[in-house]
Amino acid sequence: MRSARISRRRFLGVAKEAAIGGVVAAGLAGAVAGYLGGASSVAPETKTVTETVTRKAEAKPLKVGYVYVGPVGDYGWSYGHDRGRKWADERFGLPIESFYLEKVPEAEVGGAIETLIGKGADLIITTSFGYMDQTAEYAEKYPDKYFVHISGYRSGAAGNAPQNMSAAFAEFYQLYYLNGLAAGAVTESGVVGYVAAFPIPEVVRHINAFVLGANYAYKKRTGKNIKAHVEWIFNWVAPDKARSAAIALIEEKNCDVLAFTEDTPSVLQVAEEYQKKEKKVWSFSHYSDMREYGPKAHLTGQIANWGPIYLDFYRMVSTKSWISVDIWGRIGDYIPYRWRKPVEESTAGQPEGVVYLAPLNQAIPEEWRAEIKRRYEEMKELLFEPFSVEGNLGEPIRDQSGEVRISGSERADHQMLWSMDWLVEYVEEPLPKVKEPLRQAFPLPFLYFPRLGRCSGLGATR
Amino acid sequence: MPTKIETRLGTIRIERRLTYSRLASAATTLTAFLLSLLVVAVILRVIGLDPARAFAVIGEVFLVPRLLSESVKQSIPICLSALGLAIAFKMNYWNIGAEGQIYMGMIAATGVVLLHAYYNLFHESMLLPLMTIASFILGGAWCLITGILKAKLNVNEILTTLMLNYVAILLVDYLVHGPWRDPKGYGFPLSIEFPDQAKLQFLFGSPACTGLLVAVVAAALVFCVLDYTRLGFEIKVVGQSLRVARYAGMNVSKIILLGSFLSGGLAGVGGLSIVSGIIGRLRPGASPGYGYTAIIVASLAGLNPWLVVAASIFFGGLLTAGGALQASMNIPRAATQMIQAIIFLFILVGEFLKRYRIVFERGGRT
Repeated sequence: MRSARISRRRFLGVAKEAAIGGVVAAGLAGAVAGYLGGASSVAPETKTVTETVTRKAEAKPLKVGYVYVGPVGDYGWSYGHDRGRKWADERFGLPIESFYLEKVPEAEVGGAIETLIGKGADLIITTSFGYMDQTAEYAEKYPDKYFVHISGYRSGAAGNAPQNMSAAFAEFYQLYYLNGLAAGAVTESGVVGYVAAFPIPEVVRHINAFVLGANYAYKKRTGKNIKAHVEWIFNWVAPDKARSAAIALIEEKNCDVLAFTEDTPSVLQVAEEYQKKEKKVWSFSHYSDMREYGPKAHLTGQIANWGPIYLDFYRMVSTKSWISVDIWGRIGDYIPYRWRKPVEESTAGQPEGVVYLAPLNQAIPEEWRAEIKRRYEEMKELLFEPFSVEGNLGEPIRDQSGEVRISGSERADHQMLWSMDWLVEYVEEPLPKVKEPLRQAFPLPFLYFPRLGRCSGLGATR
Repeated sequence: MPTKIETRLGTIRIERRLTYSRLASAATTLTAFLLSLLVVAVILRVIGLDPARAFAVIGEVFLVPRLLSESVKQSIPICLSALGLAIAFKMNYWNIGAEGQIYMGMIAATGVVLLHAYYNLFHESMLLPLMTIASFILGGAWCLITGILKAKLNVNEILTTLMLNYVAILLVDYLVHGPWRDPKGYGFPLSIEFPDQAKLQFLFGSPACTGLLVAVVAAALVFCVLDYTRLGFEIKVVGQSLRVARYAGMNVSKIILLGSFLSGGLAGVGGLSIVSGIIGRLRPGASPGYGYTAIIVASLAGLNPWLVVAASIFFGGLLTAGGALQASMNIPRAATQMIQAIIFLFILVGEFLKRYRIVFERGGRT
């Protein structure tokens, strides 16, 4: 203990100028203020556990535990899941008790799952890609509990996890294609932009779908190909970076329609600011209806309701009819009437199912609104696939190097969509590929494993 | 170095204590701890929650085996890094870079796994020993860079260690987005999943048991090095006074290099315990700031290796308790973090009072 003294003195020396009373008082005041601030930002009713009591009061309620990666007060991912939880709780007719843990770092999900099981949870839903392996691990450890992992690829159904684990996702690429149609229909410069989070397949296929849609509409209108620019911000939630990326796309690249993958309405807000300055710039909703952030600039967008997926799992567990599934909620999934409707009766722009289109702005020309509705209706029955020759005006889909990726009667399948690592030819910037340039930067052989580098991505499908 | 603060009522002097008994020291910490609980209780009561129940939930974390095992698992990387920091801080070497050294340790451990998985260079029973050695060396080398800069060019280590954190984190990003990406991982930025022989639970069934054993052994080693070897003595002398060390004819540069290497190496093994004990593969953002937490833990433990083990388990328990409080009492995450912060603040103030005496003197300014 004696020997510790000097170092400790130096450590504490930082504070030696301050009187102790001041330290304690300031610390406490700060802590109390921080606490009250934190508490007021989360409305108390959002924390209330939902309980629905039916006539059979003695029945044991179904207990469901959720693990969120962000705070429920964000405007994107975790907020969306919490809305889904409430939606499912409200509609589930039996006694239900659901609870959640928010802001759980990926390395700490094990403790979170143990805690939820300690609370008696029958069903555990983990909602971040990074939770995947540990969810599978605990599914193995607790074979009498049920686990759902969101946005991953491990499930009993896929054969790479125990049978009491399912995988689910709400997939947006079809809606991004429809956004693209709207973008191509309104753009005057013929240049569209995309503020993108990470170069992972999910985002890459959304960029491609958006650009293909924009090219479809723009080329049909003008006979010219669309030009697309992508700005990578390497973040899921970064309003400041999204903002400056959006402004750069508008000012430097002359984009007048901006799609994005970022969990705040920042890009839409930027577009709205330009609209107020009498410059026509458009953007979209993402995950929830963001119209209020850009009433003028909002063209349409992609919205998710996780509720139906959760309700489905509640039912499986409560009726003991569990089967492990791997669900991709797409247009038409979990809707009451799963058939294509005529354009004039189309439900495009109304809430339905797991993923749906945000309301369509009247600024989109009439014939293109009809075209968007037609495609939306067709996709309910998967009659139309954006990643097909039909989605590209009859032309084969080429990547930036000119290589034909989809031709003839081919349609993208799960494997291609899940591992997409190429951008369509209309995108100007190359995909940030770290392989070649950085191999030169790190000539050490042990940093580079050729077998790994070569077989990334699409190899298996083609 | 007494510090005077003059007020209208009198002078407050802060004086260094020369001695402080072990009993008094324990009593101070206990009092600070109880006071912090009291403040937490008052705050909980004010917002309408039952403090007794909240404390029961926190206590449960240390009593229920399932939760305790989770807490211990969380505490291992913190513990190993804090042990490394204890060496550095004893040397008066302000290593803020445990986080980066953790990431380098993860890179080394994963590199060994990949060498095995893709080139089959050695038998799988060699995996864990080689991973441990590699993560120690790479973590140590990461800290050694700053040690060299300090020893040869007298560059402030606080800045270099902190800045290298970001380099290490980005290096992990590059590897998992690029050459080390799992070819069957659908393009997600992840390495392949480690084989069972590369996981900590391979040894004793649970990562918590293995990790605890590793932590205790590491603590014993650090204790022996610091208290029973010439290097340990030299580290302490360098920490107390560089000038004395030089007069005594010590090779200060060499001591700084060795000390920083040991410090980073331990954090590197902490990184191994994350990829191998908790996550099972390399991925971006694998450490949620354990390297920074370790700084607090090392200070709370007064740089005593044995107390570091206890303090990090306590800290790991509080991390788990955060979840339990949310689930049981609907306390938002921010509030659980605040509870943790209050406890630490009080204990730190207690540590301060052990080192310094506050003297009030009557009479106004003279």
